Amino acid sequence: MTRITLGSAVLRGTVATALMASLMSTSALGAPPVDLSKWSPEYVRSIAGTQDFDTAADCAKVTPLDYKGRLTFWYQGVFEGDPDLLRQYYKDFFETFRKTYPNIQLEEQALTYNDLLDKFRTALLGNAAPMAVRLQILGGTEFASKGYLQPLKPEDVGYSTEDFWPGAMKAVTWEGVTYGIPTNNETMAFIWNADIFKRAGLDPDKAPATWDDVVKYSKQIHDKLGIAGYGLVARKNAGNTPYRFMPQLWAYGGGVFDEATANPTYEQVKLDSPQSKAALQASYDMYVRDKSVPVSALTNQQADNQPLFLAGQLGMMISHPSDYDVMLDLQKKATGADKDKAQTVIDNMRYGLIPTGPDGKRAVVFGGSNIHILKPEYVEGGKVDEPAAKAIICMWTSPEWSLKMAYAGSNPGNLNGFKTKWMKERLDNIKFLDVTTSMLPYGIPFPALPQAPEIMNIIVPDMLQNALTGAMTVDQAADDAAKKVRDLMGGL
Amino acid sequence: MTIVTGKAEARRRLQSGRSGALRKIGEHRADYAYVLPAIAVMLIVIAYPIYYTIELSFFKTPPGLQLRDKTFIGFDNYTAILTSEVFWKVTWNTLIWTLGSTLISFVLGFATALALHRAFIGRGVLRAILIIPWVISAVAASYIWKWIYHSDFGIIGAALVGLGLADRPPNFIDSVSTVLPSLIVVNIWREFPFAMIMMMAGLQTVPEQLLRAAQVDGASAWQRFWHVTFPHLRNVSTVTILLLAVANFNSFIIPWIMTGGGPSNASHIWITHIYELAFGRQRWGVASAYSVLLFLILMTLGYFYVRALSGNERKEGSA
Repeated sequence: MTRITLGSAVLRGTVATALMASLMSTSALGAPPVDLSKWSPEYVRSIAGTQDFDTAADCAKVTPLDYKGRLTFWYQGVFEGDPDLLRQYYKDFFETFRKTYPNIQLEEQALTYNDLLDKFRTALLGNAAPMAVRLQILGGTEFASKGYLQPLKPEDVGYSTEDFWPGAMKAVTWEGVTYGIPTNNETMAFIWNADIFKRAGLDPDKAPATWDDVVKYSKQIHDKLGIAGYGLVARKNAGNTPYRFMPQLWAYGGGVFDEATANPTYEQVKLDSPQSKAALQASYDMYVRDKSVPVSALTNQQADNQPLFLAGQLGMMISHPSDYDVMLDLQKKATGADKDKAQTVIDNMRYGLIPTGPDGKRAVVFGGSNIHILKPEYVEGGKVDEPAAKAIICMWTSPEWSLKMAYAGSNPGNLNGFKTKWMKERLDNIKFLDVTTSMLPYGIPFPALPQAPEIMNIIVPDMLQNALTGAMTVDQAADDAAKKVRDLMGGL
Repeated sequence: MTIVTGKAEARRRLQSGRSGALRKIGEHRADYAYVLPAIAVMLIVIAYPIYYTIELSFFKTPPGLQLRDKTFIGFDNYTAILTSEVFWKVTWNTLIWTLGSTLISFVLGFATALALHRAFIGRGVLRAILIIPWVISAVAASYIWKWIYHSDFGIIGAALVGLGLADRPPNFIDSVSTVLPSLIVVNIWREFPFAMIMMMAGLQTVPEQLLRAAQVDGASAWQRFWHVTFPHLRNVSTVTILLLAVANFNSFIIPWIMTGGGPSNASHIWITHIYELAFGRQRWGVASAYSVLLFLILMTLGYFYVRALSGNERKEGSA
C-alpha cells in the first residue's frame, strides 16, 4: 500500500477545500438564497422556517392553473428500501398536482432506480419516451449528450440557477447548456449499532475515524460477536454499489478520473492508481482476508442490509437518514421477541460522518435526481406539452415539494426548501438529519460524462467482484477496470 | 430411376414443377387466406426485428451516440466477439447451463412420469403438487430461491448450521465456482414438471397389449421398459429435449434476477450478456451480432425440432 507524504496530503487537502468551495460557492451572477459559506447543522436550523412559499401561486406564473393539457411523466420513485413516510409524500404530491392543475391529464409512471435507465433508453430507441422524466443524477448527461433532452434551466420554471446547489447544476449541464433541474440532492452518512460496538469492545459513541478503522472495527466485531461488521455492497447494476464504494475510493485519494478535484477534466483514468488500489484492497481485506462483511455482499443491495442491521446482525453501514424511519417501519411489522430486539437496535442506532482516508480526506457521493423535458421527436405521439411539463417541474422543484419529496432520505434540490416550515418540522421529526446535511460539503458529483452510468453501474462493481471473488488479484482487477474505462472513453 | 440429360427436359420439369406448385397454392387458397393475417403479423413483429438485428450487427453503436449515428464496420463486431475472452466464458457457461438444465430436467421428469404412471393412492394429488414449480411465476420463484440460497441467512445454510453439518452457511450464489450449479438446480426444479407432463402424455400412447405380451414372454421389467416403452417414447423424448434446450438457451429470468450474471460474470449466459451489452452498455451493434449467432444456433435446434415432429407425423401416418 502507498504511503501518503505530507506534501501530498497538503496538496490533497487544498484540492478538497477547493472542491468544497466549488460546491458551496456563490455564483458571480447572483446570490443563492442561503449562505453556503456558513453551512453547518446550526446554520441549517437557524434558517429553517424563516420563509413562507405559495407553490400554487408561484407555478401559476409559469403555467396558468386552468391550463388544459396532457402530460406523460416517468420518475424514479420510491422502492423497497424507502420508508412509508416517503411513499405518502409521493402520493400527496400527485394528488396535490391534480388538484392544482385539474385540467392537465397526467399519466405518471414510477420506476425504481435500477430499472429506470434501461427502460428509458429502450423507449427512446422507439421514439416512445414520456414528455418529462425525473432521472437519477447519473443519467442526465448521457441523454443530454445524445440530444434527447430539451434545454431547460431553473429560470424556465420561475426559479433562479442560484436557488440550486452549484455542484448539482454541473450534473445537468453539458457543453455549457443546462438540460434539467435538480429535484433533490443527497449525501449519506455512516450508521452504526452502539450496542454491537460496546459488546465488541469498541467505543459505542464513536464512529470509526478512518476507512482503515472501518476495516479494523469490522474485523473486531466479526471476531468477537460472529456477526458481520460492515455492510459492504458490491452488486452489479445496482445504484447502491457506487454510492458506497466511491466515498471509500475518493477518501483514499483515488478516483475513476479526477472527479474529486475542484475542476475535473476527466482526461486521466485513475482507477489503477496506488490510491485506488488501496481502497480496493480495504474492501478485499474485509471480504476475503477477514471475512468480516456479509458473504452475500456480491448479490445484495442496501435494501438487504437493512433487515440484517435491524436483526442486530450488522454493525455498520452507509446510508440515508431515512434508514432510521425504515427501521421504525420494519420494527412495526415485527412480532414477539423480534419486536423487542428490533427496538433495542433502533435505540442503539447512531449516525456519524463518513470516515476519512489516510490523509484525512472525507468524501461522499453528491447524489440526487434531476427532472428533464424530452424533445418532441423522441416522445410517443411526437408532441410535448411544454406548459404541462413545466407545471409539474415547477411544482416538484418548488421549495415546498423539493423538501417534502426528500423529507426522510435526502435534501431539497431547491435551496429555499431549507427555509420552509416543513424543514423545521423535519429537523424535529427526522432523527440524524444533521449528520447528513453536515456531509453535503464533502459531496463529490459523479463524473458528468455520458459514459458515467456504465462506469458506475458496471465497470466499478465488476472491479469489486473480480477482486472479491478471487477471479483477479486486487492489482489485476484495478488495472482491468482502468483499461475498460480507457477503452470506453476511446469509443470502443 | 430416370436420369435427366437434356437442358430442355430440365426446363420442362422445372416449369411443370412451378405450375404444379401454383396449382397446389390455388387449390389451397382458402387455407392461405386463413393464415394470411398471422403471417402479416409475424412479418411485422418477427421478420422485421430479425432483419433489423442482422443489419445492426454490422454497425458500431458507441454508447455516447444515438443509434441513428451508427457507423458501418462490416464483420468487426463478429470478429470482436469471437476473439474476446468474455465470449468464450459466457459460451461455456451457456453450454453448461443448457446441457445441465436440459438433461437433468429430462431425466428427472421422465423418472417422475414413470413413477406416476402406476396407479397408487394419492397419485392425483402428487401429480398436482409436482406441477406447482412449473406454473408459478419465474420471477417470484427466483426471489424465493435467492433467499433460500442467501449466503448469510438462507434457510439451507441455517438448517445445515443448525444440524451441526456446517460451521457457517455454504456460499451458493456469491462464489464463482458454485453460482452456476446453484442456478441450474433452480432451473431444474422449475422445468422438470414440464418434462414430466410431456413424458406422462407419451406413456399413455404405449400399447398395453405389447407390454402384456412381453410380460407373458418372460421379459423383465427393465427389458419391457427398454424394448417396448422406450422406443415408443423416442419421438416425444426428442421433442421434449429440444423444447427444453431452446427454452434454456433463451433463459433470462432466473440468472438475471438471482445474480445479474455475477459474481464476476460467473453466471452470465448468452441472453443475460446480450441484455447487459444492449441495455446496460448500449453496445447495440455487438449485442445484435451476439443475437444473430444465438439465432443461428436456435434455428439449428428448431430444424431438428421440426424434423422430429415430421418424423412423428410420418410414423403416425404410416401406422
